[in-house]
Amino acid sequence: MTGTLNLSHEDAIEAGTWRLSPLVRWRLWQDEAVAYNDHTGDTHHFADFAAWVFARLCQKPESAAGLAQAAKTSVELRSSETHDAVIGRTLDLLWRLRIIEKVQPGPGPAR
Amino acid sequence: MSDRTVYLRLGPFTASLTTPFEKVVEQLKRLYPASFFKPSAEFADFHVALLPGKGLRRHVRPQARFLIDGVEHFKPLPLSQALPLVEWGLNYAIAGLAHQYLIVHAAAIEKNGKVAIFPGAPGAGKSTLTAGLIHRGWRLLSDELALIRRQDGKVVPLARPVNLKNQSIDLMRRFAPAAVFSDDAHDTAKGTVALMRAPEESLARIDEHAPPGWIVFPQWRKGAPARLENFSRPAGLVEIAHNAMNYSLHGAQGFELLAGIFADSGCYRFTYGDLNEAASAMNALAAA
Repeated sequence: MTGTLNLSHEDAIEAGTWRLSPLVRWRLWQDEAVAYNDHTGDTHHFADFAAWVFARLCQKPESAAGLAQAAKTSVELRSSETHDAVIGRTLDLLWRLRIIEKVQPGPGPAR
Repeated sequence: MSDRTVYLRLGPFTASLTTPFEKVVEQLKRLYPASFFKPSAEFADFHVALLPGKGLRRHVRPQARFLIDGVEHFKPLPLSQALPLVEWGLNYAIAGLAHQYLIVHAAAIEKNGKVAIFPGAPGAGKSTLTAGLIHRGWRLLSDELALIRRQDGKVVPLARPVNLKNQSIDLMRRFAPAAVFSDDAHDTAKGTVALMRAPEESLARIDEHAPPGWIVFPQWRKGAPARLENFSRPAGLVEIAHNAMNYSLHGAQGFELLAGIFADSGCYRFTYGDLNEAASAMNALAAA
């Protein structure tokens, strides 16, 4: 799976969701991902849980709560941490790397 | 001692080399075919010079200085290391200037129309493996710098002498007794160094580009059986990006180029301890 993210207006109006930065290029191979960030010039390799989160965000923007809910049904954690905690930590990491960004609500229709 | 200039073909490039050291030119003529030398050229990609040391020292302990476009990028080395200095300096010039290619610090060899790229940290055994395989049916594209064309991802031949170090020198003299070697240069920063001329077929096919087929991360280990293991493509891509000289200059295009190569190539870790076993394993990979 390859590509860059194209975000629709409908996706963008939901507050509290995360999306890939439009400057990120990526490839998914099996359960791993590699991403190039044109903000920083860095190339990253994501495996395990980070790759799962990254792959979800490659498909569409999602909220932390939505990701945690999906993770509970499809990802078994190795540690005793909760899914919410691991999602929070992973999103924080991806955000610090400038791989993802918070979707800002749009201004709404003009009156 | 008067300077002379020779024009030397280096794969797709021409370098003009100006030097008073006739002995170095003679050694280069052992290592490159006569057709790669020209007395004159309309254009040279790199203008380099190998000149004597400065000051009184040159009379006591002769040195050689390497200059690119008149600029000295390295400390002078003893004159006995002049030949490796030329080869290292030419690598430096190519890596620093030929940004029309994505340049990966890796060996590249071809068989059955596909290229195996061997990125590797110093000491991983990539030069020894390369030197062995090019005497067991593989074509040398490069020993040190894999030149990848941006438009199609093909590897451009840069067949030049293979740089051998320390125990690899005697190993290769036994493994390929018909090969042509330079004199040994002792006490270099890399230990004892010798250069091995590229096989004639590799030199004759210097214009034949080929697409990558395998990305192989070699690791020599004493006594280890030859073993190829699948390796994660994302991990391999990040590792090869770190081994690329100018990846950051190519930005997103460089990533897309590497991603395309990894999509179309097998990616492996390769441990080996014996060159004949390694050649059997790599030949089986190429035949599969």
